[in-house]
This record gives sequence, C-alpha cells and structure tokens, in this order.
Amino acid sequence: MPGQKLYPRATVKKIVKAHSNCSVSKNADVMIFLDYMLFMQNLVKEASIEAKKGGERGITARSVKKVTADSLAKFKG
Amino acid sequence: MARESRPLDATPRAATAEPISNFRRSLIQTPGSQRRLQGLSASGRKIAPPTATPHARAAFRTIDSRRAAIFTPHRARRKSVREARDSPRDLLLGLGKVLAKKTEPIVTSSSSPGDTPNNNRSDDDDSHETTLGPLHMSYDDDDEADLPKRPRLSLPIDREDESGSDDLVPHRSVLLENEDNYTMQSVEMPRRAYSEGPGGRLSMNSTRMSDFFNTNDMLHSEDFGRESGMFPPINVMEEEGTFTMADILSPERLESDTGRRDTGRESDFGIHVPVDLDDQTSFVIAPEVQSSPVRQPDDLDEPVYNDFALMEDQRSDSDDGAMDHGLDDFGDIGELPDMEDEDPDNAANETTTHVDIGNRTETEVLTHAQRAELRAAAAARKKRINISKHGIQYPSLPPAVVKRLAQNFAKTSGAKGKITPDAMNAIMQASEWFFEQLGEDLEAYSKHAGRNTINESDVITLMRRYVCFLLSYNLRFSSRQRQVNSLTTPFALASRHLPRELLQDLRMPPPVLSKKRRKAGEGAVPATAEEDESVT
Repeated sequence: MPGQKLYPRATVKKIVKAHSNCSVSKNADVMIFLDYMLFMQNLVKEASIEAKKGGERGITARSVKKVTADSLAKFKG
Repeated sequence: MARESRPLDATPRAATAEPISNFRRSLIQTPGSQRRLQGLSASGRKIAPPTATPHARAAFRTIDSRRAAIFTPHRARRKSVREARDSPRDLLLGLGKVLAKKTEPIVTSSSSPGDTPNNNRSDDDDSHETTLGPLHMSYDDDDEADLPKRPRLSLPIDREDESGSDDLVPHRSVLLENEDNYTMQSVEMPRRAYSEGPGGRLSMNSTRMSDFFNTNDMLHSEDFGRESGMFPPINVMEEEGTFTMADILSPERLESDTGRRDTGRESDFGIHVPVDLDDQTSFVIAPEVQSSPVRQPDDLDEPVYNDFALMEDQRSDSDDGAMDHGLDDFGDIGELPDMEDEDPDNAANETTTHVDIGNRTETEVLTHAQRAELRAAAAARKKRINISKHGIQYPSLPPAVVKRLAQNFAKTSGAKGKITPDAMNAIMQASEWFFEQLGEDLEAYSKHAGRNTINESDVITLMRRYVCFLLSYNLRFSSRQRQVNSLTTPFALASRHLPRELLQDLRMPPPVLSKKRRKAGEGAVPATAEEDESVT
C-alpha cells in the first residue's frame, strides 16, 4: 500500500463520468472512492458473515452474490 | 473341595488329568478363595494381602495367572486346544461349569424333585421301565436325604459331570464342536459371508438366492423374502435416486426438460438456484446484458443523448449496412454487451422490412448469431470495454485494486484475507453495479442542484444515507459515549480510510466545501438525536 497508490483516480473519474454523463469536479472522486470503500467494506463484511453462516471457509462467490443486492440497496441514494 | 485336594503348585497329575480346568481355575480364582489358600497362588507366589485395593488385587491376579501360564509344564500341549481356549464362549462355558459345581440350587431347580421326577415317572413308567428302575429308587432315597445326590439320579450325564467334574476337557471340546457350531451357523454367519464377498451385487444376488434355497431351508421364510424380494427393489430405488440427483446437479438437463420438474416443488426451487449460479459463474456478461436494455428506451427517447444514442443506433444501422460496410464494424460493435438482446429485434425488423432481399437477410441473421457467439467468447476472454447507459465507454476498475481492498476488508472483518477467484469475480460485478448506481444517483443529485458537474457535496449527500445508517448502527454501541458525531461524519470516515495524500486533497479545497461538509455533519447530528430517542 505505501508505495503504490490506493486507486487510479482517473479510472474512477472516467467510470463515474460515463455512468452519470456529468463531469466530475476536481476532488469529488476521492469522496466517491471513499464511498466505494465503504461499500466494499460493507460487502466484504456481510459476505464473510454470510460465509460463516453457510459454513464456508473463506469468502466465496455464493456469499458475495447473496449479499450484493443488500449492500447495493444500502448505498443507494 | 476338589480344589483343596489338588496340589497347589502345578503338579504333573493336575496337568495331565485336567490341564484346561486347572489353568482356568487359576484364572478364575476369586480373592476370597485365594485367601483361603493361605496366601499362596497356584504358582506358589504370594498373593495380594487382604488390605490391598481392588486394583492391586486385580494386578496380583493377572500376574498370578501369567506366572501360572508360564510355569505350568504342559503349555505346549495346551496349544493344541488353544482355539477352544481363545474363544470367550469357551471361557464362559468353563466358568459355567465351575460355578455349576459350586451352586447346587441351579442343578436342583433344573431337575426339581417336584416336577421332573414325577413327570419322568409317569411318562417313563409306560415306555422305559429299564431306565426308570434306578430313577425311581434314587428318587425315593433322595427325597428325604441330602440334596446334592439328586442331580445324579435325574440323568446319568449329571452323574458323570459330578464324578468327573475336573476332566471336562474332551467334553468341552465336543461341546464346542457341536453346540457352538450349531449356534454360530444358525442364522447370520453364512449370510454375512455372502454379502461381504467380492464381486458384483447382481451376480452375488443370484448366487446367494440359489445358495439360500438349497442350504438354509431350515431358516425362516423371512430370509427368503428379504434376500429375493427386497434387494432388487432397493437397487431400483437407489438408481432412481441417483438419477434425480444428477438432474439436480446438471443444469442443462433441467433447462431442456421441463417435464422433469414434476418431481416436486422443493426440487424445483432447488433447481433454479444452481442454474442461476452456473450462469453467473460461466458468463459474467449475462447480468449486464439483461440490465442494460431496460435503460435503452430512455436513452433513445431522450433528445439530449442523441449523440450517444447514435452510437448505439450504429448497431442497427450497421446491421442494415452490413453488406455495404463489411464486417469490420461488427468487430468493434461486437464488444457492446447490449447487442445480444437487440439482435432478435433487429433481425426481426430486418426480415420484415427487407423481405425482398431474401437470401441476404438469412445470411445476415446467421452472421448475427455467429457474431453474437464470437462476441460472447471474446468478451469472456478479454477484458471488455464497458459502455454505460449513456453510451460512453469506460474502463473497469483494475481488479488488483479491488482485490487489495477486498482482502484488507476481509482481514479486518475477521475472515481470512484469501478470496477465491469466483468470489473476486462476484465482487468485481458488485463494484460495477455499485458504480452504475452511484453514477445515476450522483447525476440525479447534481441535476437537481442545477449543475452539470458532480460536486463533493453531491457525494456527501449520497453518502449521508449510508452514514445515517452507520449512525443508527453505532448508536447501539456508543450512544452514551457521544462518539457518534466524530466517528461517522464523512470526513472522519475519510480520515479513517483514505491515505494521507488523498486526505490532503480533501482538505485542500477552499472553505466553501468544508462548510458544506460541516453542514453534512450537522445535518447528520439531529438525525442521530431523533434516532437516539427512537432507540432509547
């Protein structure tokens, strides 16, 4: 983590631009990525809980899929 | 009484006369009887003192038995009878014999004077007078005399037992060969041998049936029924079960055969899930393809996006002009995920509109199908270029970044940092969906504010919902500590999650933005107060 950058800012900006058809202000992408990080945290946490519930060892595709819709709904504006 | 007369240290007489009985007696000796023997065991060793604990006594006993086994001279001869000795049944028999000698009431009960002698007399008076003669006399004598003589009188065998109680060796072996074999043969041994034998089940069934009918006629009729009738049905049932299981596991068959679903509702439900899962794992595109056409009508209808809509229309245009422009266009457009769903419509339109072209349309349709396949394959193979609903190409987030994030969060959430590739695919899919949703929401916010640019305030407004959720979540744990405000403002979250250089970017902007951020934090506070009240 220290040496490399956390995420490609330009890519995130492009993604959001493409989806919203709006320009993104200079530093809004940082907040967007923060939101994305929160989403990922939520997703992974829920997925790990789900995996533990299902008796799986690690996080599996099944648990992630099961949880995806829920955490997406949580982050809906 | 016989024991007392016998020499204690293994003498030749004891060994020759009754080797097994001698050995067994030394084995079976009870502590009480040993005490009677003046503290000397059969081998002459000192036995456990009366004050010894039961465990110590048991240890002494085992040691004594071992010594007796070692020092008795005729061990070699006993080896010939070892089979008989080894079976626990033999030990039990010997015990029974020994006890039977001591406990006389058993003998008397078996040949009780009230029942058997009278019956014997009444029955045998008619038929066997020769045997009755001695019986009758002895019965009269014993009726008033001592009890131990009665067994003698009832049967000559008993008399032999009592007189030669110690030399039971031949008798026991005979018993083993005859009675024990009878009991062991009785029901189960042969069957087990057949069932556990090597070879296929069916062949074994046939042989087993024949064998059973021949050999075990004495056995119950249940066995025949079990062997012949029950096993084939069981096999059939198992086969059917395996078929259904295979059906459940293999999605193709289920998809093809709808008639298969008459197995039941539960199986139906169980069937649907794996099909979906398999689809998702095999084709990552599938959900996208399904989700995108929903939005297309909006795009096509909206005049603002005509430029981008034209890009999409290129597909249909190029479909028409495929003959003119060649297949190169399709190569580019082939990467569009929307194509597959539009294909049928376009093809139908083409066929209806260009009926006059005839052969051409057919070839076109064919090329469409082939192209769709190629497209799917290519999309699955290489990192595809995504196109948003506005028709703008966008790169997907690099998987390495997502993986690192996910691993970090997995570690912090308690699970192991390991994430399977399948799970990674699912997470990538989820993040794509997330950005899609986020883009739409941000667009709505910014448009609502009359802007065409997405500001940080928009993002904060978007985040506030989740932040509020966080607040309500944290209230349960830290409402008393009043940490809620500082912990869950977006800025606090940012300072917790983001590296310093990104934080600097967040702090650097002019105070207007920070005000907005503060506003967001203040806006969150009253909500927490309300929720605090509602919770508490």
